[in-house]
Amino acid sequence: MKKLDCGSVDCTQVVSQLWDYLDGELTEERMRDIQTHLTACAGCFPHFDFERAFLKALAATRKEDRMPGVLRARIMEKLREAGCEGLTSP
Amino acid sequence: MTAAPEESKKEQDQRFEREALPWMDDVYRFAKWLTRNDADADDLVQETYLRAYRSWHTFQPGSDARRWLFTICRNVYLRNRERERRIVDTGGDDAKLETLAAVQSHADLPSRSWDDVFGAVDLGPAIERAISELGEPYRSTVLLVDVDGQSYEEAASILDVPVGTIRSRLFRGRRLLQEALLAHARDSGMLPSGDGRHGS
Repeated sequence: MKKLDCGSVDCTQVVSQLWDYLDGELTEERMRDIQTHLTACAGCFPHFDFERAFLKALAATRKEDRMPGVLRARIMEKLREAGCEGLTSP
Repeated sequence: MTAAPEESKKEQDQRFEREALPWMDDVYRFAKWLTRNDADADDLVQETYLRAYRSWHTFQPGSDARRWLFTICRNVYLRNRERERRIVDTGGDDAKLETLAAVQSHADLPSRSWDDVFGAVDLGPAIERAISELGEPYRSTVLLVDVDGQSYEEAASILDVPVGTIRSRLFRGRRLLQEALLAHARDSGMLPSGDGRHGS
C-alpha cells in the first residue's frame, strides 16, 4: 500500500479503515477526512468501490421470510398451554 | 427488572402479545439463519417464544423486545448445539489487519464495475451459500450486521460480546466471504483467473 498523501490521512490509514467508514462507525471528523481522501485519491477509490459493492450485495441477500401459518398456530397453542391468557391472535 | 407491580398476569400476557409476538417473522428468519434447516428453525422459534414467555417478567418495559428475543434465540441455539467451545477473538488491531488483507485479496484485479460483478444473477446464490458455509461465530455476526442491518452495538448486545469483538469477527467474516466469492467469480469466468491478474 502506497503512502500517498491525499489530505490529512494517508492511503494505508484510509484502506485500513474502509469498513469502519462504510459502516459509519468512525468519528465525524474521521469520516470527513476519509471522504475527502477518497474523492481525491485514484488509488484508494477502487478499493472503496469494491467494498461498497460487496456490502451492498450482502445486504441484498436479506429475505423477508414470513413464518409459516402452521408454525405460528403451533406456537400460539404452546403459549396458551404454558398459561398465556387472552391471546387474541389465532 | 420487572413490569410495573400493579400489572396483573393478564396485563403482562397482553403486553407480551403486543410487544413480543409482532417479531415472530424476524425471530423466524434469524432462527433459519442460525440453523440453516427449516425443521430446526421451527423448533428453535417455538422454544425461543416459550422461554421468552416464561422470562417475560425479566423484560425491561420499553426496551428493545426484538433484540431481547434474538438474544434468547441465539442462547437457545447455542445450548441446543452443546457447542459452547471457547473462542479466542482478536482485538481491534487485528480487525484493521483483516481490512487490509481483504483489500489485498482484490487489489490486483483489473478495474471494473463491482456493482455489476456482485449484482450478477449467478453470484446471488453463491453469496448465500458462502454465508451459510461461514463458520460460527462469524456467520451470526455477518448476518446481524451486514444482512439484517444491525449496528455493532446492537449485534454486541444480542451476541453478548464487546463491540470490539463484533468488529473483529465481522471483518474476519467479510474477508472469508470475499475470498470465497472471488474464487467463485474466477471459477465461473466472471473474473480472470490468477494468470490473468494485473500487477499493482
